[in-house]
Amino acid sequence: MTDLRQQAVATAPVRRHVSAGFVASAITLGLFVVAAVAPNALTPHDPFAMDFTQALQSPSLVHWFGTDESGRDLFSRVIYGTRESLAIGAGAAGLAILVALVLGSVAALAGRIPAGIVNRVIEVLFAFPTLLLALLLVSILGSSPLTLVIAVGLGSAPGYARMVRGQVLSSKNSGYVEAARALGHSRSTILRQHILPNALRPLIAIFTMGVGQSIVWASGMAFIGLGVAPPSPEWGALLDAGRAYITQASWLTVLPGFVIVVLALAATTLGKHIQSFLEKGEKA
Amino acid sequence: MRKHPTKTVPLIAAGIVAMVALSGCSAGGSIEPAANAKQLTGGTVSYGHQQEPACVFGGWIEQAYLSYQVLDNLVSLDKDHNIVPWLAETWQASDDQLSWTFTLKEGVSFTDGTPVNAEVIAYNFDYWAAGGNSTAAVWLGGYYESAEAVDDLTVKVNLAKPYPLFAENLTQSYFGVQSQQALETRTDEENCAAPIGSGAFTVGEWNRGENIILHRNDDYTSPPANAKHDGPAYVEEVDWKFISDATTRVSALRAGEADAIYDVPAIEWKGVGEQGYEQLKYVTPGRPQQISFNTAKGIFTDENLRKAFVYSLDRKSIVDTIGKGVIPYEGNGAVSQTTPGYSEKAADAYSFDLEKANELLDAAGWTERDDDGYRVKDGKTLDVQFPYSGGTIINADGASILQGVQQQAKAAGFKVNLIPIPPSAAASGKYSGVDGYDISVGYWTSVNAGIQYINWRQNLPESPNNWNSAFYNDPELEDLIVRANSAIDLDEQNALYAEAQEYIADRALSVGLYDRLSTLAVNPSLKGVWQESSQGGPVFHDAYFVG
Repeated sequence: MTDLRQQAVATAPVRRHVSAGFVASAITLGLFVVAAVAPNALTPHDPFAMDFTQALQSPSLVHWFGTDESGRDLFSRVIYGTRESLAIGAGAAGLAILVALVLGSVAALAGRIPAGIVNRVIEVLFAFPTLLLALLLVSILGSSPLTLVIAVGLGSAPGYARMVRGQVLSSKNSGYVEAARALGHSRSTILRQHILPNALRPLIAIFTMGVGQSIVWASGMAFIGLGVAPPSPEWGALLDAGRAYITQASWLTVLPGFVIVVLALAATTLGKHIQSFLEKGEKA
Repeated sequence: MRKHPTKTVPLIAAGIVAMVALSGCSAGGSIEPAANAKQLTGGTVSYGHQQEPACVFGGWIEQAYLSYQVLDNLVSLDKDHNIVPWLAETWQASDDQLSWTFTLKEGVSFTDGTPVNAEVIAYNFDYWAAGGNSTAAVWLGGYYESAEAVDDLTVKVNLAKPYPLFAENLTQSYFGVQSQQALETRTDEENCAAPIGSGAFTVGEWNRGENIILHRNDDYTSPPANAKHDGPAYVEEVDWKFISDATTRVSALRAGEADAIYDVPAIEWKGVGEQGYEQLKYVTPGRPQQISFNTAKGIFTDENLRKAFVYSLDRKSIVDTIGKGVIPYEGNGAVSQTTPGYSEKAADAYSFDLEKANELLDAAGWTERDDDGYRVKDGKTLDVQFPYSGGTIINADGASILQGVQQQAKAAGFKVNLIPIPPSAAASGKYSGVDGYDISVGYWTSVNAGIQYINWRQNLPESPNNWNSAFYNDPELEDLIVRANSAIDLDEQNALYAEAQEYIADRALSVGLYDRLSTLAVNPSLKGVWQESSQGGPVFHDAYFVG
């Protein structure tokens, strides 16, 4: 996983090798971004239009992913659901990173007592099952995309917080920080120019991977009925809706599930490549 | 750096295999027992039910299904809608209809050994009326005055008003009779988890979230007159499993892990029948799955907007498509088509007419539309808040039907916000008050059209009625229903009930969507399962295995 060794920001040029995996995952994610931004460019069907005469049609050239119980085109629903699913994934990952930054930095940089308190908070959050947290939030806030973002974001924040704490501690004790101190730089300058840039750089990769993981999490919650309200084509909601028809119209579940897997794989692969790229940069 | 080979090809392959495998689930070989199969003794019925209640006995139909196995009623309803003896051998109303006298069977005991006698029955009436069963209490409310033991086996019930349907209402399992000793000496928790009755089974273990084990009452002597045999149940136990997911229930049946399941999804109905499983289907009388408009607050205080909403819906097409011909369409918002006194006129009051819906909305000043096609007036969108209890009151088929409603109303310019509410939010009452919704959806099973008294009686400070989901306080409507409840002549009674339904339809206070079903699928190696006729629950007293 994360390499905790930290060095000064590299400046020397490094020869990069662009792998097929990186290209494939970048293109895949690019397609998802297009689907999120301009879904109508990818499908001619209205994702909400019901056509009872076309109910539960299996995948065909007209309906690539088949139709649902109300005759809605599933491919269109998946495409139009990308925006909400990606927004939930990115929002949850972003929130997780933000919370992790605050908690992790305080745990690493604050005095013994506040750091100790924050560490205990992180441990408590760690021990709290994400699903239980989600149920609690849904009970209080009601089912909505925002609830999913908060539930998934808070649920995955403790893991990231520990990571941030480790990164910041490692940077704080590094030679280049000692050198900066010796040169008389102020604490805030050291924090801003040396510790945070080095500590946070790996989070770019973590965030990319986190988007995919958050989408899987959010879809899981939507699948058990804690997701967004109908007729949203959010992917987890599609899985949930398809569940009732799984033995007779399995495409309603399998195909949205497959899309979720593809996105999660692409995001994870891209994240790992970014991570590897950054590590190489550090070693160069 | 470690390479990450693409996993796309295996994933695609796995997806295709999964689709093929799942599609194959509907196929299957014969499950019929051998022609010379004989009745077996004993055994455990594994039954998959949809929902788990908090207590065995209570005012919810899911509780009634369970308590039917454990508690006996005074009377039962047969499949021809006749009242037949159960704990009571005979019953008689006085000439003025203000008192009812029940004569009990001799020699019946509760499973704690105490006798079923008139004093206990009188105690149970007081217990029900005081809220020991919330639904029994609303049925008795306004009518019940007192109950007294005339002698050991004769109990007299005194009413405030004539109520010819009184005995019929007692066939519902909300009126299951419990041991007075148990009610008086045990804790509420004990009586909740394992009420003591005189029924065919007793409650054994309750593994919350999983199952309840019902043990045979070997001393059972009091089956209802419509039971198929006398004496104790044939099977030793019923393993009443809670399997909330419909697909999982059907899979459990097909895999042989369940001998019978409740609530077969419409899409599985045909396949299950073709595979040889016995199918039982009961359209519950009472209020169907209907939508009620909030007439006290919000846009639907305007009758024309209510009508516009109804005209915008092709309810029959939605129900017929989603329901696959299994779920019956119901136009009547007051009672279902299996309810005595049903009005077809009320059911047919509205048909799909988008043009008319648009005219009504235009006339009401909702003439502009936003970019999404929703109507706007004075800068306000024509929003409709529509919460529903998904998974409890509304199953998966019902949720799909509501999405159809949402989509069709959009064509007229209504922005319907469907809000699936979890049980915790429903229980908190967040969506049940006058500020909670513009439209509510739900059913209320009953054995007669007297359910209208519960659903439409006025909600007044001196006599609250939280079940008037339209918040429609109308003395004229209430009077109509009260007169029907007390009408002794059956034709007059049905005419008054029908008039009330038409009154409700004329003002578009509530319209029907579909009739609530109780469906069962049973492995053919299990015989003798039937559905009781007051609420459609499964009866296992007569069930037996063959092999």
